Amino acid sequence: MRPAAVTQSGEEERGVTPAVRPVLLAMTLALGCLPAVEPVAAKEKTGVMPGFTVAPSAKILLLRPRIRVGEQSTGGIFEPNADWTDQAKANMLAALDAQQAQLGNQVIMAEEPIGEDGLKLADYRALFTVLADAVERHQFFKGDRLPTKKRNGVFDWSIGPEIRDLPGVAGADYVLFISTRDEYGSTGRNIASIVGAFAGRSVTVGVHEGQAGLVDARTGNLVWLNSDNSMGGDLRTPEGAQRRVAQLLEGLPVHAPPVAATPASVAAAQ
Amino acid sequence: MRRALSLILAGLALAASPAAAAEPKPTLPPFSWAYQPVGVDERGLWMEADDLEREFRDSRLLVRDEALNSYIHGVLCRAVGEDRCKGVRLYIIRDPSFNASMAANGMMQINTGLLLRLHSEAELAAAIAHEFGHFELRHTLEAFKRRRRSTDALMWAGITGGRNGANLQLAIIGSFFRFKREEEIAADIRSFEYLAASTYRAAASPAIWERMMAEYEASAAARKLKFRNARRPSFVDSHPTDMQRMVYLKALAAEHGDGGEDGVDGYAKALAAWRPQFLADAIKLNDFGGSEYILAELARSGWTKELLAARGDLYRLRGNPRDLTVAAQAYRDAIAQGATDPAIHRDLGMVLLRSGARADAATALQRYLALRPDAADKTMVALLIDQAGATSGAAVMHAESGAPAVSPGSPANAPPEPASGGSAVAGARALAPANDGSTK
Repeated sequence: MRPAAVTQSGEEERGVTPAVRPVLLAMTLALGCLPAVEPVAAKEKTGVMPGFTVAPSAKILLLRPRIRVGEQSTGGIFEPNADWTDQAKANMLAALDAQQAQLGNQVIMAEEPIGEDGLKLADYRALFTVLADAVERHQFFKGDRLPTKKRNGVFDWSIGPEIRDLPGVAGADYVLFISTRDEYGSTGRNIASIVGAFAGRSVTVGVHEGQAGLVDARTGNLVWLNSDNSMGGDLRTPEGAQRRVAQLLEGLPVHAPPVAATPASVAAAQ
Repeated sequence: MRRALSLILAGLALAASPAAAAEPKPTLPPFSWAYQPVGVDERGLWMEADDLEREFRDSRLLVRDEALNSYIHGVLCRAVGEDRCKGVRLYIIRDPSFNASMAANGMMQINTGLLLRLHSEAELAAAIAHEFGHFELRHTLEAFKRRRRSTDALMWAGITGGRNGANLQLAIIGSFFRFKREEEIAADIRSFEYLAASTYRAAASPAIWERMMAEYEASAAARKLKFRNARRPSFVDSHPTDMQRMVYLKALAAEHGDGGEDGVDGYAKALAAWRPQFLADAIKLNDFGGSEYILAELARSGWTKELLAARGDLYRLRGNPRDLTVAAQAYRDAIAQGATDPAIHRDLGMVLLRSGARADAATALQRYLALRPDAADKTMVALLIDQAGATSGAAVMHAESGAPAVSPGSPANAPPEPASGGSAVAGARALAPANDGSTK
């Protein structure tokens, strides 16, 4: 989401004094269009607890995924689209179900509890988000690694064994968290990108982020996390959703499936 | 040439985006029963709001008291009418800042800090009718569209604007915030119209802004900061200034007249059970001037035991020696008025202990333990009692061992504070430094 040229210094901005530029940037931020801030250093995408493999014929409890699909306006703001999001949710669940069934696993959609259980579940969803963000920032991103995460092969994160007490978790082997955000470039955004290229301004088109994490339902340990800022696969179509799910689950160590037809990416990860 | 091109492009982007042209126009107001959003933008925003609402529903920050929720919902219905209010979902959020908001889908959020600062049902009605006005007038949707048009224009100005691009961008940003302020004014006026048509006193609302201005001034003064309420908004203010709001609401009130019901007693009664909690949350903001102002305003009709106890806490937490005296008196007055919370005796004891009134401190702390024998902090309080009672004993010991005789009241003779008791007092002290500036 690189919006207007206010974030870019250049001779073209001689019209304003340098002092105005940070003000302009601040005001642009206040308008809600954030410039893309990509870490310069390389960032890892996947982490696995050493020695972890998904147990054979595992029961995987899927908590309600956070899926947002919409358009990216010319100026770079997110335009949520309810139809696309509904399609994406249905397609993703179907693709996930098909893929895991192929591996002999069972994906169970978590029920939505009410009352105290609902609060607890919300707590854990929030906790997972914090945990996953911390992993991304302090382990995947090498520039800001915590001292305890610096040794190679260490992947030691947990949200605590009390996750067992959540409704539905007792009968499951793993809890799966998924969130995706897709912003498809609008016509205006695409034109702006082309015009921008002529004007010497870089205008990125589209945002396709996804995150998937697997938590051991008995120990609360985060056994696998995958996070990708440039995902492929269009969730609005069944085929695209299959590709997206394969990418989301990339690097998840699984046992050899009962049938030979394993998606190439998963086989490669083994 | 480039400038002309950018102006044309920006103008085109502002005039109409292609998506907006294709959108069906909603025919029903959003508060209609079982209303379904229409068009890509409205449906998208409602979907986002629905997701957000799930999170609010399951948040531990909500005040779920059914009586309080249904009371506020009732006030909304009386303000905007039974036909409009039914679909509104209310979420009272435990947040001591002064705010309320309403999402596109009819979810209303009210901070406890707003409830604390209001004095009557009519004021509450004005505040929540303002939020409802945003909802009825589809302001979230309009602001979203405006934001999209503005950022589109910003983009074109940025890539084609040349040396004047930045000036053009400034103008676009300014116009967006002006638009936001206009929405706020529209909601204020809509709210006034609702109240004018209801049984509430519509002229009550300017007082909210008068008090907010005074509170900001009091807050700044206690921090030795220069502050003056702005007459006009700044370039990027999303709301008109409090002074502007007070002025135009007063003008409306002068036109409309002063009739209608305030509902001061009803409001106080509905909030009675919660006010101590809301006050405690406000006091923890470490805003001495602001909290003292809120207390003083609430105490206009007399210092109740709840207000006195809160005032004791406020002064105890600032913790200057003179504050401890004020705190002790406030606690004692509260107890004299029949304050029943055992914790007030503990807090009084702590204040007295730090003031050097050890015998009284021991009495107060003992009273706390007597009223709450299984208190979580009973061990710590017992240590404090020992310490308070040990003064004379320590003096005797010193005398017997031939140590220099020092009068018990002298600081040099103060026994070392036990670790746990010391930390408890230090805990109160730790909150003080931010306020120390006020005493210098």
